[in-house]
Amino acid sequence: MNVIETTKLTKYYGKSRGIIDVDMTVEEGEIYGFIGPNGAGKSTTIRTLLGLIYPTSGSATVFGKDCIKHGPEIRQSVGYLPSEVFYYDDMRVMDLLKYSASFYDKDRKVIETRIKYLAEMFDLDLKKKIDDLSYGNKKKVGIIQGLAHEPKLIILDEPTGGLDPLIQQQFFNLLREENGKGATILFSSHILSEVQKLCDRVAIIKDGTIIRVEQIRTLLENSTKRFTLELAGVADPAPFAVNGVSDLAVAGSSVSFLFRGHMNDVTRILAGQDLVDLLVEEPDLEEIFMHYYHKEDGQ
Amino acid sequence: MNVFLRELRAYRKSAIIWAGSLSGVIIVFMALYPAFTQDVEATKEILSQFPEAMRAALNLSLGNFFTIYGFYGYLLSFAILAGAIQAMNLGTGVLAKEVSGKTADFLLSKPVARSRVVSAKLAAVLTILIATNVAVSAVAYLSALSVAEEPLELATFFLLTSTLLLVQLIFLALGAMFAVLIPKVKSVVSVSLPTVFAFYIVGMIGEVLENENFRYVSPFKFYDTNYIITNVSLEGTYVILEAAIVVVAIGLCYWIYLKKDVRASA
Repeated sequence: MNVIETTKLTKYYGKSRGIIDVDMTVEEGEIYGFIGPNGAGKSTTIRTLLGLIYPTSGSATVFGKDCIKHGPEIRQSVGYLPSEVFYYDDMRVMDLLKYSASFYDKDRKVIETRIKYLAEMFDLDLKKKIDDLSYGNKKKVGIIQGLAHEPKLIILDEPTGGLDPLIQQQFFNLLREENGKGATILFSSHILSEVQKLCDRVAIIKDGTIIRVEQIRTLLENSTKRFTLELAGVADPAPFAVNGVSDLAVAGSSVSFLFRGHMNDVTRILAGQDLVDLLVEEPDLEEIFMHYYHKEDGQ
Repeated sequence: MNVFLRELRAYRKSAIIWAGSLSGVIIVFMALYPAFTQDVEATKEILSQFPEAMRAALNLSLGNFFTIYGFYGYLLSFAILAGAIQAMNLGTGVLAKEVSGKTADFLLSKPVARSRVVSAKLAAVLTILIATNVAVSAVAYLSALSVAEEPLELATFFLLTSTLLLVQLIFLALGAMFAVLIPKVKSVVSVSLPTVFAFYIVGMIGEVLENENFRYVSPFKFYDTNYIITNVSLEGTYVILEAAIVVVAIGLCYWIYLKKDVRASA
């Protein structure tokens, strides 16, 4: 069964583009990554699914029900965590979480037990005022209000900003746990490595259109890295002109290129070089789009 | 029920302050009533020396001013001005705060229909206004009772008092409409004060120009104290006009709120 299905979903904000003809299917039980640079249309798609904004044309269903007609019913089983969290400053954490729980049909006691369990897990003080919380702690409140009612669909819109690595790790473990219990997860991000860690399938969105949907395995096999080398002598570009290398730049003793393919191929080339320094980085998304997807689109 | 209760709680403090201040003003003014009536002739003479335009602007009519109803109606007009601000703050604030506080994402991603959100919020502020009015009427009645020389006619007294709530309803509705029409309300007072005073000044100009048509434009002039005292009823035309304004404003408010895109809070 498809938990999320959009058909030619299009949204314009006045004249400016939100998304164009987005067709997306998320199957039950999968962790679906949604990746693209800022402003590509990730949030627009997500906000349409939640009924926060209305599509210009096309349609979207969640659990097989139309997002606009059955919004409240759908949202009974959805947990949402936005990238930036804002809550009522005058409330205490527990009051906010109780208020959040009061919207769901699920047994209040069960939710409250879970709130306490999650708060302990993330080391969050339930008695504090929202106003007094740090950004990271507000984010924890966001996680708890989104997950306390054990939703069947968890929608996360760039959720990791402001979380320190340890908490992020805990959060990912929690998501895997929920997924293990049967929850479907839609995870949007502009950080590729984050999505790689968690997701089964990834949709890549750019300029409002989904340009590709890939299994994460395929993406990993084709994983792209940026290499920056500092050689002992003047660099010779010839050895680097192999399949998989792009954006090659040679200047004096330094060489920089993007590589996509099997890592062994590149280490073999490197073994023949007299290296002074070597830096291997995750390229940012823009780079990947520029050098791969953009080209492939043009073909 | 949860949104309704949440809003009641959120406005509890401000409601107490408003009810307290309005009552306070009424008590203080009422305490002055004996001083005005002690020497009616002298006071009348002083007041009649005011230029007529000024008396019109101040809404002073010498005919009724020295009866308890006239005096009460006169001081009520100031309570109504303040009450209009309270009502508009509530109407605008209750809806706009989710946008200005960026909590709309939280609230509207919960399993609740937008129409229910609007209904719960409007019901909460309406409850607060009614509670304020109940408190203020009780205080007003008791203080009038203690200074009045003649027995008080309940119907006249409460009809006069009801104009507070009636005018507040209009501004509540206008406030709710403005809350959805203005993309982002940064401060509620910056919407309510200019609106309320604009209508008040329009009403004042109407008095000075002695132009009856101005009454249709300013809710503050819908319910005339002298008319109520003489006829012990409200003018039907204005009751209908008020109903129309409230229905249209609230209808628009629902319509826009239901269709509006909730944009990302960046």
